[in-house]
Amino acid sequence: MELTRRDFLKASIAASTAVTVGIPVGKEAQAAAGEAEAGWQWDKGVCRFCGTGCGIMIATKDGRVVATKGDPDAPVNRGLNCIKGYFNGKILYGKDRLTQPLLRMKNGKFDKKGQFVPVSWERAFDEMAKQFRRAYKEKGPTGVAIFGSGQYTIPEGYTSAKLMKAGFRSNNIDPNARHCMASAVAAFIQTFGIDEPAGNYDDIEYTDTIVVWGANMAEMHPILWARVSDRRLSNDNVRIVNLSTFRNRCSDIADLEIIFKPNTDLAIQNYIAREIVKRDAVNWDFVKKHCVFATGPYDIGYGMRATDKYAFPKEKDTQAKQFRVKLDKYEAIAQRRKPGEIVEQKNAKSAGKHWMITFEDFKKAVEPYTLDFVAELAKGDPDESLEDFKKKLRMLADLYIDPKRKVCSYWTMGFNQHQRGTWVNEQCYMNHLLLGKQCQPGNGAFSLTGQPSACGTAREVGTFAHRLPADMVVFNKKHRDFAEKTWKLPTGYLNPKVGSHITKIMRDLEDGSIKWAWVQVCNPWQDTANANHWIKAAREMDNFIVVSEAYPGISAKVADLVLPTAMIFEKWGLYGNAERRTQAWREQVPPPGEAKGDVWQTMEFAKRFKLKEFWGEQPVPGLKAEGFPDGKLPDVSAQAKAMGYTGEETLFDVLFGTEENKKKYRWPDPVAKGHDNHIAKEYGWFPEKAMWMEYVKFGRGHGHDLADFDVYYRDDVRGLRWPVIQGKDGKWVETLWRFNAKYDPYVKNGDFEFYGPALKKLPSGDLDKVTDPTKKSLAGKAKIFFRPYAAPVEQPDDEYDLWLSTGRVLEHWHSGTMTRRVPELHRAVPAALIYMHPADADKRGLKRNDLARVVSRRGEVLARVETRGRNRPPKGYIFVPWFDESVFINKVTLDATCPISKQEDFKKCAVKVVKA
Amino acid sequence: MNYSGIVVALKPGRLREGIRALNGLPGTEVYHVDEAQSRVVVVQEAASVHDEVDGMKAIKELPQVAYAAMVYHYFAEDEQIYTTFPKELEQDACSAEACVPEALRE
Repeated sequence: MELTRRDFLKASIAASTAVTVGIPVGKEAQAAAGEAEAGWQWDKGVCRFCGTGCGIMIATKDGRVVATKGDPDAPVNRGLNCIKGYFNGKILYGKDRLTQPLLRMKNGKFDKKGQFVPVSWERAFDEMAKQFRRAYKEKGPTGVAIFGSGQYTIPEGYTSAKLMKAGFRSNNIDPNARHCMASAVAAFIQTFGIDEPAGNYDDIEYTDTIVVWGANMAEMHPILWARVSDRRLSNDNVRIVNLSTFRNRCSDIADLEIIFKPNTDLAIQNYIAREIVKRDAVNWDFVKKHCVFATGPYDIGYGMRATDKYAFPKEKDTQAKQFRVKLDKYEAIAQRRKPGEIVEQKNAKSAGKHWMITFEDFKKAVEPYTLDFVAELAKGDPDESLEDFKKKLRMLADLYIDPKRKVCSYWTMGFNQHQRGTWVNEQCYMNHLLLGKQCQPGNGAFSLTGQPSACGTAREVGTFAHRLPADMVVFNKKHRDFAEKTWKLPTGYLNPKVGSHITKIMRDLEDGSIKWAWVQVCNPWQDTANANHWIKAAREMDNFIVVSEAYPGISAKVADLVLPTAMIFEKWGLYGNAERRTQAWREQVPPPGEAKGDVWQTMEFAKRFKLKEFWGEQPVPGLKAEGFPDGKLPDVSAQAKAMGYTGEETLFDVLFGTEENKKKYRWPDPVAKGHDNHIAKEYGWFPEKAMWMEYVKFGRGHGHDLADFDVYYRDDVRGLRWPVIQGKDGKWVETLWRFNAKYDPYVKNGDFEFYGPALKKLPSGDLDKVTDPTKKSLAGKAKIFFRPYAAPVEQPDDEYDLWLSTGRVLEHWHSGTMTRRVPELHRAVPAALIYMHPADADKRGLKRNDLARVVSRRGEVLARVETRGRNRPPKGYIFVPWFDESVFINKVTLDATCPISKQEDFKKCAVKVVKA
Repeated sequence: MNYSGIVVALKPGRLREGIRALNGLPGTEVYHVDEAQSRVVVVQEAASVHDEVDGMKAIKELPQVAYAAMVYHYFAEDEQIYTTFPKELEQDACSAEACVPEALRE
């Protein structure tokens, strides 16, 4: 390349970069930047990866993505991108992209033991429908399942949930988001009566104290971390605290680093609460007006199977604790019991129940969590002195309590993937509420998410086994009535029994209660703990597994049918990020080969079934809801006929391609601005828009309002934070801080109102039980929960002598199915490593880069040892990332879950490491 | 050649020293300086994408650097990123047009 061209290129890239992040440059430089980009079509988009929701600009030319840059107008990232965001365009072009349906066949016929053979879509759907009918006939609605996703676009999640619930009368759809933030959801619902954070990312610029609990934001949410760094560097008063079980990159700019033992975050939170009470720092004005105190049962088990019939022999000792737990001294104190006492886990099936308590009882409950007690229990680094650790805990309490300080707490998987995940989330609200530091600019507890639409799709659309759109639930008759009316279904069509959560879908496949499953936008065979069980379930049981995928990951490998699927910018979509911001993009390039979007796949599959196949009586074991005959869904054919259905309609005709949708949402549509839509083009109407406009009916008028479809595609809109309300002037106004009268139009009474409607009538009791079953209303109030310390169900012992935590690294995202296709990212971190303390390595005769086996009761993997990496565990602790399918660490992990949220705990189990 | 536009924030009081350090890295040149916010724009030139990622790591490891974020990547004329593939993944890829990826051939 000649010098002049090179200089020109570099100058224009510099100018573009500067302009993007708001660094002033001269006009000449700006003009040069424009010239370099001539001939490219730029459009706004959203990053495919984490829950931050960064805006990116995508340039296309001749049907290919040619460049990407941070979107300077995006309020989330203000032009910045992390290394993953930077490669959004490249993930589309991996060489092993799946471009044809593949079916396991022998001699021209489907055979579970056969080899994958390319087939037509027609043949694929034929076999899929045949196998579906076989499972449905044998098992009814509970015999089929969909593995959904926090990476579904909103229309995708809505379409799939609608087909399952309003078509197949099954609630067995659950997203991988269950693994990601179910504990956060359960705590939001239990504490506030409504899901999702009150605040937003702007809190970072308003606060002066940032406390990070179990979240490696520097690597997992690097753009938010850049905002945190900016805030810290521009203000000497700002303090950052990093609480973690091992040293990570957040510690680089943290003022205080606290390394604690797994699960003892529960005790540290109670120490802070005790200090708040002891120092008389409770904000009584706030607490009396807006809060009540509450607690629930302690004997709730660990979310493991209720039988050890399927357990490997070595697993049985851990499994037994699902029923009976011997208390250690730290647990015993909090439960007012004796160490060594055996406690039956009687509330394993009623873990979520709770009742109101008095402040006096609350005070009594936190009393044992003194500095001495908590420091001895929680200190995570054997090389740190107890006195130093105590000093740090005191500083942490000081920062929270200082009346002059605003405080924001952030967390992700450290809290959520936790055997008491719901509790520890609730404890964070406990301290913020006690101090009245919640729902104000710069003050609040904020749950970050890991996936791009964990909030927007998985939660808001309701792709969970218990949910309907907009926080509605299947077991509430009024909610079902509303959904049936909106979906034009006869009363009694929807199934009131909660379906299987994602781990249970795996268990159901293993024990044969589910016989047909469809994987959409996720990789559950790589991301579910204790994977040896599930691989066996997929390959050795009599079932049919369909996997819609872009690349051949582990789930595709265990499938019977693989469907080639369009990726992010090959389709239209909307995502909702962690701060309630809904953002949209258009199709930029066509999908490769025969790959198709998930919306198309779901709708085409619906064409294979008639309404009359489902409107008759259906068996649902265990169903005992009000108004339903025991164990079955009623025959609703008579009502359906009265509504004008004949039964000959396909589910596509009833649910998706209605006459109304075809007429009202025609394609082409001016909102496309010349962009294509490979699905709408085939149908002649615009399914994503039709589904969106139907979906928004669920949320409007009760705190979940979203704007019209076209609004999100306007050039001047970079996402809107719900509730989004249209004013009399026609303008759509977003809500920045919920429950705060200054910002939230839903607050009708006083300065703050926690108006969420769920679980707002409670009985009363003491710390152990309900004493007055009369339910009293706590409308408008939030709950301050007392939750005790609970020991992890599996801890290191003589044989398995190390803690294992899994997690992610900056360069890869989730199971690596996409990022491992980008050569740059793959080369940056080609294989997952065992991060361990040099002394622990030494003790086992291991050096850096040596191959070692990580072994648990459940399985083992082989990987190389890293003793000097970015993650520095204390002695007794190892960290292994899970993105790398060749280091299939979920064969080793334990499938214990939070008994309330059913979210798996990937952060702690016992292993040994031996030289390979 | 690969070019990337990177914004680098330098620690307070270390702006000048940071600029010198950045200019001292191979293939890295500081173009614009925002003194008020202690940020600079760097353009990195690298022979291969591998070098580019290594370069980014080197920037982040400088003691003066608070954070570095990529903003812009130019790959319009860079066909090699579509055609080169890590060896470890090459075996997964398939060559025939209507093929089953190696990973699914077992």
